[in-house]
Amino acid sequence: MIAFILRRVFQSVIVLLIVGLVAFSMFRFVGDPIENMLGQERTQADVDRLRTQLGLDQPFIVQYLKFLGNAAQGNFGVSYRQGRPVATILAERAPATLELAAVSGTLAVLVGIGMGVFTAIRRNGVASNVIMSLSLVGVSLPTFLIGILLIYLFSVELDLLPSFGRGDTVMVGGWSTGFLTKSGLLALILPSITLGLYQMTLIMRLVRSEMLEVLRQDYIRFARARGLPERVVNFRHALKNTLVPVITVTGLQVGSIIAFAIITETVFQWPGVGLLFINAIQFVDIPVMAAYLMLISVMFVAINLIVDLLYFAIDPRLRIDGRH
Amino acid sequence: MFRLSIASAIALSIGAAAHGETFRWASTTDPQSMDPHAVSSTPVLSFLNNVYEGLVRRGKDMSVEPALATEWAPIGNGEGWRFTLRQGVVFHDGATFNADDVIFSYERASSDASDVASWFAPVSEVIKVDEYTVDFMTTDPNPIFPDSIANWMIMDSDWAAANGAKLPAKEAENFATLNANGTGAFVLAQRQPGLKTTLTPHDDWWGEAEHNITSAEFTPIQNPATAVAALLSGDVDLINPVPIQDAARLAQSDGVQVIQGIEARVIMLGFPHAAETLKYTAQAGQPNPFLDVRVRQAVAHAVNVPAILQTIMRGNAEPAWQLVSAPMRGYIDNLEERPAYDVQMAKDLLAEAGYENGFSFGLKCTNDRYLNDESVCQAVVSMLAQIGLTAELDAMPVRNYWPELRSNNMDMFLLGWSPGTFDAEHPIRFIVATDNPEKKLGSWNFGGYSSARIDELLPQIQSEIDDTKRMEMLEEVTRIYQDEVAYVPLYVQPLIWGARDTVSLTQRPDDFLILRWIRIE
Repeated sequence: MIAFILRRVFQSVIVLLIVGLVAFSMFRFVGDPIENMLGQERTQADVDRLRTQLGLDQPFIVQYLKFLGNAAQGNFGVSYRQGRPVATILAERAPATLELAAVSGTLAVLVGIGMGVFTAIRRNGVASNVIMSLSLVGVSLPTFLIGILLIYLFSVELDLLPSFGRGDTVMVGGWSTGFLTKSGLLALILPSITLGLYQMTLIMRLVRSEMLEVLRQDYIRFARARGLPERVVNFRHALKNTLVPVITVTGLQVGSIIAFAIITETVFQWPGVGLLFINAIQFVDIPVMAAYLMLISVMFVAINLIVDLLYFAIDPRLRIDGRH
Repeated sequence: MFRLSIASAIALSIGAAAHGETFRWASTTDPQSMDPHAVSSTPVLSFLNNVYEGLVRRGKDMSVEPALATEWAPIGNGEGWRFTLRQGVVFHDGATFNADDVIFSYERASSDASDVASWFAPVSEVIKVDEYTVDFMTTDPNPIFPDSIANWMIMDSDWAAANGAKLPAKEAENFATLNANGTGAFVLAQRQPGLKTTLTPHDDWWGEAEHNITSAEFTPIQNPATAVAALLSGDVDLINPVPIQDAARLAQSDGVQVIQGIEARVIMLGFPHAAETLKYTAQAGQPNPFLDVRVRQAVAHAVNVPAILQTIMRGNAEPAWQLVSAPMRGYIDNLEERPAYDVQMAKDLLAEAGYENGFSFGLKCTNDRYLNDESVCQAVVSMLAQIGLTAELDAMPVRNYWPELRSNNMDMFLLGWSPGTFDAEHPIRFIVATDNPEKKLGSWNFGGYSSARIDELLPQIQSEIDDTKRMEMLEEVTRIYQDEVAYVPLYVQPLIWGARDTVSLTQRPDDFLILRWIRIE
């Protein structure tokens, strides 16, 4: 078991290092940060001085090693654009993204499972068919389009919800939360639907097909034959047995929700790390880009590691293999 | 009524006090620093103009008017300028403004760490004559010095010293990055970088308040569609800019007005004046046809600027044939007529130059720098095709664009120029004068244009105190670069803001939003 974990951790570190290497080799193609940092009236001497100062005149491998060295000590550098420590900026922005991801993830799971069960049980009902057709829209429409449509409908036409931003936030410890104010909660509605819609439809379709599979099993028929109430059959016996693959997929989707929040955050001007990253690309803010990419890959690697460990716990065969 | 009450409930919940005098506005870029000397960019200078003030400032018509100095006059025969300071001015923290703050702000703004040091390149020495008189000595007579420091903002020396912000922080942060203490009409009440910045009126401001704002909130909104929606839904009172394609629709919407003007920025085509050969297409390596002035004239006649303005700019921009727009100082009124759009004449000129069968070349263009820049370039490509020139368009983000131009990787290129000093001398210095790093001339003259006469006139223009003589020289320079078709100026970029009906404001060509001119009815 320990050996397994160590091996996986080791592999994860390798993956992280490679992600960083690829990222740094790509930064050259994003553009020249110096152009954005100096005004119209700068001279070539200013450009050269700043380039040396930032270490941009060195090969990307050297820049990468320096970044790693500093990052290992918890120092992610200073944003070229804002002139503030990247770690501070990320810490300011992370709560917005995490709260949005939490709400849309919860929404996706609850509504997805609910509708999945519903459409499986009432397989041929009108409502089920409507939901199934609509879910195609959720899977196929791009996020930014859904976001803009929701804004026009609920903010511009109906004037019910704010069109952008996070509303009022309250600082709890070092964490800015939008959960405690009315405007913060209202502001969460549209972005979390936009962000969670894809996952919602994905989970719904998965639950539905698993559920249909399970409902055909002998033990369900047996349960029905015993005269158990339909509710108990559906939810205690059938749903429980569909959840194993659903949990796996959901776990993996958590990473995607955070990473793909970029588009939703841009459309709704949601002040999270995704918006920060888009900004950083625009202004070639390499320290911010590097820290964000590393953060996201750490997150994906960690999620995968946890999922692997869960398998390990759930599936005894893996444990036996591990002893060989 | 019900709808109204919901709307106001939401307005309340968004954090704005519901009464009319809270002004909320949005723009695409957040000012990245609150330090007036750390970054020289429009978002920063525009925003901080509400908080800090300079010795002089620009009025509604861009003319220079007194601010922290009540009057100024040249010393002797142009050895410098003497500024008489305004008395009884207080900073937001209550400290009194005097000559020491001016000297301190000069030292701070002209230091190596400052991004605006070039404004003080002509200054040799600054002398405190008394508590309210300061002399700026210049190495050469400098007629436009007061104009050129209109965005130089004065900071309190004691405040900076007490907070460890004696120098602007460029690659790190310091107290002045997030805090401000100016003399301006508005006080920085809250600063959340990238999220929201709140200003409140300065009660002890020396001037007469024209506005009726009790609080002003700025939010950056990057996505133009989101900004338009925010304006339409009443979540913000003003957005800048409005995407051109949305301007007409917004103007027709209830409760919203579109405010249009022209910017200081002239958009133009540039030529490779110094290259021996072409660099792109199948004809790469062949002699450079643009060295012949007739070819450049042909390009000027072939581009149908009115059509570009009609279709791509939807009637929102004005044609240009000088490197500065009409409101700028040094604009020559009798030299504004563009060469006529005339395909036949263009073809004749090409034939005369020996290119009756045309040729092909590369056109470099930005796709995120100027309004609809890529569409304009596509239009230029199709217009040049009419006279047999095949341009291969390569459009890219501006962060990749400047490095390409700096490495001379272009044939023809697109360039926009906004004169920082609002004077015709500015583009001549940066994009017309022969490239000379030592004298800091021609640093954006990518095409390598060079005219001995212009190089000779430029220093005289820079130091001529007599305005009539100066205008004569500017006219001569303008004539030369027009006759030689150094560039093909196309149009002046429009400024399009969108605001709620209830807002009245003044829009200036420098794209600054001046809060003290805003009234909400």
